[in-house]
Amino acid sequence: MKLICSDLVKTYGHKNAVDHVSLTLEQGKIYGLIGRNGAGKTTLLSMLTAQNPVTSGTVTLDGEPVWENRRALDHLCFSRELNVSQESGVGSMKVKEYLRLASYYYPDWDGELARRLVELFELPVKKKLMKLSKGMLSMVTIVVALASKAAFTILDEPVAGLDVVMREKFYKLLLEEYAATGRTFVISTHIIEEAADVLEEVIIMHQGKILTVANTQELVDSARYVSGRAEDVDAAVEGLTVCHSETMGRSKGATVFLKPGEQIRPGYDVTVQPINLQKVFVAMCGEEAH
Amino acid sequence: MNEQLTESKSIYLQISEMIETDILREILLEEEQVPSTNELAKQYTINPATAAKGINLLVDEGILYKKRGIGMFVAAGAREKILSKRRRAFVETYLDRLLEEAGRLGITKEELIEMIREKAL
Repeated sequence: MKLICSDLVKTYGHKNAVDHVSLTLEQGKIYGLIGRNGAGKTTLLSMLTAQNPVTSGTVTLDGEPVWENRRALDHLCFSRELNVSQESGVGSMKVKEYLRLASYYYPDWDGELARRLVELFELPVKKKLMKLSKGMLSMVTIVVALASKAAFTILDEPVAGLDVVMREKFYKLLLEEYAATGRTFVISTHIIEEAADVLEEVIIMHQGKILTVANTQELVDSARYVSGRAEDVDAAVEGLTVCHSETMGRSKGATVFLKPGEQIRPGYDVTVQPINLQKVFVAMCGEEAH
Repeated sequence: MNEQLTESKSIYLQISEMIETDILREILLEEEQVPSTNELAKQYTINPATAAKGINLLVDEGILYKKRGIGMFVAAGAREKILSKRRRAFVETYLDRLLEEAGRLGITKEELIEMIREKAL
């Protein structure tokens, strides 16, 4: 099974929140979607799961359009932050009522798993959603995502509001479920370093466009930070893919991506350091990035 | 002053080593002003007290000195001082570890010397 979008556009006013995005999500992988606030992550994810109509472009699951297509939607789960601001909406629902609703919606719902997770998270099932803390609301969305058993499960900011212990618990549960079923997960998060080792593929989104889709380890392994005297750094990285650089007086630092077989040119007095995914991301999408 | 901080070592030590390396590379020249504690704090997103600790370490060693009301400057002879300090540390940080691993692998002294000779040529 493959979830494919091609030339996807979503326009709000005069702005393309999602700007001609094409992407193929394969079965059995954990993807990470990272991007700054307003990059278009949630808009993209909601269109992938037919929660939001597209302006143009297509989304298909195994060749079938997902929009208003029950057969395709049975395999998709989009778990996003719950909006409980109003008494009238979902906020007045009790946790157990909300979970019951989810069990009707998802044909492969695993009630036993949901019960186990509710117990593990110590969720107060009789409380209304609007009475829950931000962290507990995140846990409810995680329960729904995991128990949905949908082949393609998308979690938008699942760890927002969770403390560090719960975040680790979440990633362990995710890996457990992944190992047992081989479902596809797409996770968006701003806490990049904590997710880095869990993500097989990372999708970097910036200003409505996808900058990169890469194997996380390969991307990180190919990145180097080179610093020293400006002329030495320039000479050492000549001909390489420089993604970002900054000069301060006589010194310079440059983030480069090495293609297979490439190396920093030897013979110059420069410091070469590995960098982590978070720093790769900042170099690509930060204020000074071009 | 463009290196990235890592988690492998105390931040203040990394700050002082970065300044030293910049002096060795003649990015910072003797009698030249070095970035202030607050500038370092901002650039590396670290607490100013941590940056100050790194700077003070170099002041104690006579590599930097303070001009009252102006800031920190590279002392005359600082480069030579850092060179001789790093040469002394070279034995401890590199040679001792090299010999230890060579011993573990059963590489004899003669073999090791031959390896170095080949590599350096």
